[in-house]
Amino acid sequence: MGKITKSSTAEYFAKNLQQVGFSSPLKAVLTTLKEAVDNSLDACEEAGIAPELKVSIKKVGKGSARSTDLIQIIVEDNGPGLEEKDLPQVFGEYLASSKFGRGQCSRGQQGIGISAATTWAQLTNATGVKVTSKTKRMRKAVNATIDVDIKGNKGLLKNKKTIEWKKTNGLRVDFKIDGRIQLNGDGGILTYLEGTTLVNPHLTLEYELLDNEKVRVERVSNDVPKVPASTLPHPHTMKLGEFLTHAHLYGNLTLAQFMKKAFSRVTDATIKDCVRNGMPKKLATMPVKKIPEKEFKTIFQAIQSTELANPSTKSVLTVGEEGLAKSIHRIGEVDFFSVVTRKPKICDFKPTVVEVAIARFLDKKAAAEEQSIQLLRFANRVPLQFDKSACAITRAVESVNWRSYGLAQSKRSLPQGPYVFAISVTSPFIKFKNASKETIDASDDLVEELRRALMQAGQKLSRHIKREDKAADLERKRAHIEKFGPILVEGLAKIAGAGKDRKNKATEGLLKLLGRESKAAEKDLKNAEDRLSLLKDKQAAKLGRIRKKEAETAEEVEGTEEAALPVKKAKAKKKSKAKKKTKTKKKAAKKKAAKKKTKKKAAKKKTKAKKKKSKR
Amino acid sequence: MPKIRVRKLDKDIPKAAKALCDEMLQSLEKGQRPSLQAIKCSLDNSIYKASKGYFTPGDKKVTTELNVSSVQKLSRTIFLLDIMLNNLKMGIVNTKRELYYIAKGASKNEPNLKPLNIQEQSETDSVISYITDLLEVYREELNCHAGDKGGQTFSKNLIVTETLVDGSKAVMDLSTMGTVAFQPPNKPHVFKLKAKKKKLDFCLVIESEGTANTLVTNGFTKRNNCIVVGAGGVPTNGVRGWCKTIQDQLKIPIYFYGDLDAYTIQNIYRTLKAGSAASLIRNADFSAPDVKFLGVLPHDIKKYNLDCYPVSEKNSSDARALKKAKDALERDPFFSDKKNKKLADVLRWLIKQKIRCEQQAIFAVDPKDPLMSEKIILDKIKRKDFI
Repeated sequence: MGKITKSSTAEYFAKNLQQVGFSSPLKAVLTTLKEAVDNSLDACEEAGIAPELKVSIKKVGKGSARSTDLIQIIVEDNGPGLEEKDLPQVFGEYLASSKFGRGQCSRGQQGIGISAATTWAQLTNATGVKVTSKTKRMRKAVNATIDVDIKGNKGLLKNKKTIEWKKTNGLRVDFKIDGRIQLNGDGGILTYLEGTTLVNPHLTLEYELLDNEKVRVERVSNDVPKVPASTLPHPHTMKLGEFLTHAHLYGNLTLAQFMKKAFSRVTDATIKDCVRNGMPKKLATMPVKKIPEKEFKTIFQAIQSTELANPSTKSVLTVGEEGLAKSIHRIGEVDFFSVVTRKPKICDFKPTVVEVAIARFLDKKAAAEEQSIQLLRFANRVPLQFDKSACAITRAVESVNWRSYGLAQSKRSLPQGPYVFAISVTSPFIKFKNASKETIDASDDLVEELRRALMQAGQKLSRHIKREDKAADLERKRAHIEKFGPILVEGLAKIAGAGKDRKNKATEGLLKLLGRESKAAEKDLKNAEDRLSLLKDKQAAKLGRIRKKEAETAEEVEGTEEAALPVKKAKAKKKSKAKKKTKTKKKAAKKKAAKKKTKKKAAKKKTKAKKKKSKR
Repeated sequence: MPKIRVRKLDKDIPKAAKALCDEMLQSLEKGQRPSLQAIKCSLDNSIYKASKGYFTPGDKKVTTELNVSSVQKLSRTIFLLDIMLNNLKMGIVNTKRELYYIAKGASKNEPNLKPLNIQEQSETDSVISYITDLLEVYREELNCHAGDKGGQTFSKNLIVTETLVDGSKAVMDLSTMGTVAFQPPNKPHVFKLKAKKKKLDFCLVIESEGTANTLVTNGFTKRNNCIVVGAGGVPTNGVRGWCKTIQDQLKIPIYFYGDLDAYTIQNIYRTLKAGSAASLIRNADFSAPDVKFLGVLPHDIKKYNLDCYPVSEKNSSDARALKKAKDALERDPFFSDKKNKKLADVLRWLIKQKIRCEQQAIFAVDPKDPLMSEKIILDKIKRKDFI
């Protein structure tokens, strides 16, 4: 037998970086960015600060490996910053995390990601990460390079200096790594940034990618989400070993007290049930430390076979329908969206929340009619961009019959159309398939919960599509009357040998007959429009007071969501004009009159306001 | 120009069409919806009586009322009807493809007809079928012929006389054609058949044209006083009409030899023998009720140790075929009839055994003997081993 050697955690990860998202130059850039952004957002939220992030990704030279570039990734935040002593631990030590096993819905969990990014930078560019940090207590910012001591799994602080920084607090990381840049597509950086802005309505993001112009996306919500505190563990989510370790922390308490204090959902009644299920009664009053170890297995088995209430769902965080609805407009011009936030649910004994946003983007409409929808997946508000097919979210989308909601879909595949489906799963314990957190394990419970959310969103979507279908139906019917009526009458008169009088009379009769039908179609369309506007009113209410006001001023844009968008109003008006063509002349006249009135009112208000100002 | 009638028809087509259009026009003048009634051409309106031997239409009708949704279909119908009536008047004949181009050209060039917007042949084909169902006439009676051909035919003892449009006759002696097939066009009414020397013994219709060619090349028609026809899969109207002509004029037994699978029995053999539900009006002249199913039969598999393929429900096309076979046993009046009980039993056997055997499997019985397939077929005919 050869000599048995022991290696550090850092050594293991340095040799297996592919397991944590560094399997290719393309993924390396995205993963580095992702880890830095996740850490910044978590830190800001924990400190109650509305995050403002600046991201810059540039090619600065040739990479050391073949066919790679040297990429500089800078992420700067306005978070609380880190003390100098914490910097090496955070950026250079594996499994050093303030969040590990806390049972909270934070983005980072284990303390691997950012250290892996530092390792990648060190392995490919022989330098770790350059960090600038300033907390409120500091007068000057600390600037240093942090390397990973791979043998010892420790961070090494190098080239430390103090510098002036305008910011009162914040953190700036600067990675130079070997990589390649992909902007669009499933694994693209732009897709990641768009996804991140979508599920973080409170985020202001400024980014500069390659030589493209700087883009700034303003926050649409000032409410910084508070990550709910974790709840006590549920006995059914534990294994025997964990139960034993947990028990030793409560040595002096009796077993009954320990069970009630250390676990959720355990009451006096459940302890009685445990006794009924084989837990020796005398043990309940015995201090935990005096219970012989072999008895713990009996106790544990009794608890497992006792029926308990499901774990609490209080520890789960949601983006919220309002936030998603506002945020979705930041990605592009939307002509329809529906948002569903499900109530927290227990999936595989873990509290989970599923949120779905479906939107149709005007700029994608023409190209994407026959393409699959764009699926954006999120786990704890982090975009998932790889290994789509094995993910629970993809499985759930494919399992829904979208044809019944008016979308084209081949059997067991993603539906088609110019839609974006953004689906978020939030849970303190998401079951990922791998350490790089790219796919969520497709358990039956979770897939079913996702399906329900998708079907709810689909029902809203179908109302919109039905209205469009009815409008198209009316258009078609009107066109048919105009087009085919004369051909039919002409043909019939020719074969029957009828004269002009008969022909004219028949034409009149035909127009009367078909006119009645188009009136019925108009009525159908009106009903469908009413139902849809009811739905949209509900959505508008969720958009909040400010947006509602905007919607009122934008009025008349056919009751669609773009009314709530001050931007790109002109395009929306154009579209509404096109739709109006389908309505009767009477209606159009009425609407015009209504428009004039509102405009006049608005003008009057303005002049009044001006007068007041001038008086002052 | 003398016109050869497809069948005896007690109907004046132009008169019937005029009456139909006049009625529609009258309804419109009154502000009422005109409605048209056509025979429902579907299995649930198909009646099978063994005495007749083919599907005839039941009482069900399809009513098309003029509304916004049907105005396009009716406009196209009247437009094409006008073209066909004109053809009848002028004595012009067109294929379905040509009619499609005529309609397409008119809708393209004449501004007032532009809305008809004919794009695909399927659009005019369906209207032509609708007109024939409406007037209860054959397409050929409206001077519209399809391009389909009767099966490849071989014989050393058959003379075919064709009456041409101008009344002159063309005589074809099939014995002089060697291995070149005579392929009659889909005009069964213009052919007169007779044996060259003595009365023919039988006609063998083979599902695969390739196998028919092989038998002929190996001398089947030289050694046997018969006709061999290669059907080429699901029999077209041409093949069906040709077999009916052989049956009626030569009065000889006709045997069908094909695969042993649900598709062949349901779609190929049943259509040849009794016609189809889609062409209820024309089955009387386009089916050969006397044809017998020679094989492959289930007991042949054991007798000749024939190779079979499994039919798996996991395979989507196999599963569909099995489901169709089950449906046929439940709904198809042909298989419900007592006279066809043995065929229905074969279908049941195929569903149960989940196997299929191809017609070419007999070539494996004795690969050294090139005439083995001929021997098996003749032996089966001799033993009257058919259904």
